[in-house]
Amino acid sequence: MHAFANPARFLKLARPLTPWCLGLGLALIGYGIYAGFQSPPDAVQGETVRILYIHVPTAWLGMLGWMGIALTSLMLLVWRHPLAAVAARAIAVPGALFTAVCLISGSIWGRPTWGTWWQWDGRMTSMLLLLFLYLAYIALAGSESETSSTERVAAIFGLVGAVNLPVIHYSVVWWNTLHQPPSLSLQGSAIAWPILWPLLWTTPGFTLLFAGIVLMRMRTLIAENKKLARMRRLARA
Amino acid sequence: MNPWPFVFAAYGITGAATLALLTWSYAAMRRAEADVAREDAA
Amino acid sequence: MKAKHQRLVLVLLAIVAIGGAALLAMFALKDKAAYFYSPSDIARLKPAIGTPLRLGGLVADHSIKRDADGVTIHFIVTDGIANISVRYTGITPDLFREKAGVVAEGALTAPDQFSANTILAKHDEKYMPPGMAGQKPPMGKLQ
Repeated sequence: MHAFANPARFLKLARPLTPWCLGLGLALIGYGIYAGFQSPPDAVQGETVRILYIHVPTAWLGMLGWMGIALTSLMLLVWRHPLAAVAARAIAVPGALFTAVCLISGSIWGRPTWGTWWQWDGRMTSMLLLLFLYLAYIALAGSESETSSTERVAAIFGLVGAVNLPVIHYSVVWWNTLHQPPSLSLQGSAIAWPILWPLLWTTPGFTLLFAGIVLMRMRTLIAENKKLARMRRLARA
Repeated sequence: MNPWPFVFAAYGITGAATLALLTWSYAAMRRAEADVAREDAA
Repeated sequence: MKAKHQRLVLVLLAIVAIGGAALLAMFALKDKAAYFYSPSDIARLKPAIGTPLRLGGLVADHSIKRDADGVTIHFIVTDGIANISVRYTGITPDLFREKAGVVAEGALTAPDQFSANTILAKHDEKYMPPGMAGQKPPMGKLQ
């Protein structure tokens, strides 16, 4: 882990990895969506079930993103890992965007199936809270006064915000909600194979794409930090 | 209710948002790395 | 103890404390955060007649009856333990059908009578192609 404390060493790995993540991610998504339009409709919902193939990956990424922020925040607070703050900030914008896309695609899915665009049930409310946590985190970590104390405040916020993740996941189990309980768990799948399998392409596809975007954001932030450090040195000289 | 407008709207918004994020991240990275490379050369 | 380890212990303690507090809060919220009440919740909590609330459960088989006006329907919401009859005038979602999940917004008119102003369909977590009903999925869990 500390091998990557040095940005130069990280960049040596990140530069070739970026196009691979993006390319492979887009290819998997493309095939998954193609397959998702060949698969059969659902017996109850009909054709609207195809929204599954983008709704589930974006929901997963919204939550994976905050797991990443929490983990890198822990690394920053405990080990003072220099790349951790960069990684956490790099995750925030894509995490927020995919959370928003999850909410929007879910809303579009809700209208023809449930008969409503939005309801304040436990799942939808906790997912909307995740979006607001992302926006607050972006405001907090992105502020120009890039000092170690603002970094630490953002990291504490990142850790505390992770409390919402189990709430999102278990909201449909703990409480009565309009949203259905989880279809996929360690015990198996409640989705029949012909409908399930395109999801097994789009989910890793979106995850790789997300990784590629985070790498690009990290490279951007590292370059900007370098520029900033150079400007400060020049100002002092 | 005709399901297709809903399906296409969901895919359209997801695609547009994802492409916008990709383009923006790529452009920002290119700009930042080019700035650093120019200063390194100077 | 090294400073690094001290920080680790401190942060982990904080995580456990915050997580525990949140978990307790969630369980305390169990009834308040409920998006709807099941027929047996209503039998247990006895909400006042006329209070706006949401009733959720399954539409009982063979229970949907349509009035002569064509737009008023009556059906029974059940959770297998208690039943409540619902009256509703208006358009229902496509997925509203017998033996399927439903959420009705409205108020009780009697302890076991409910007048709804909105009907939402609630589907379960199972997805399968038409004609595959009853077939076993590859990974279990599906009944």
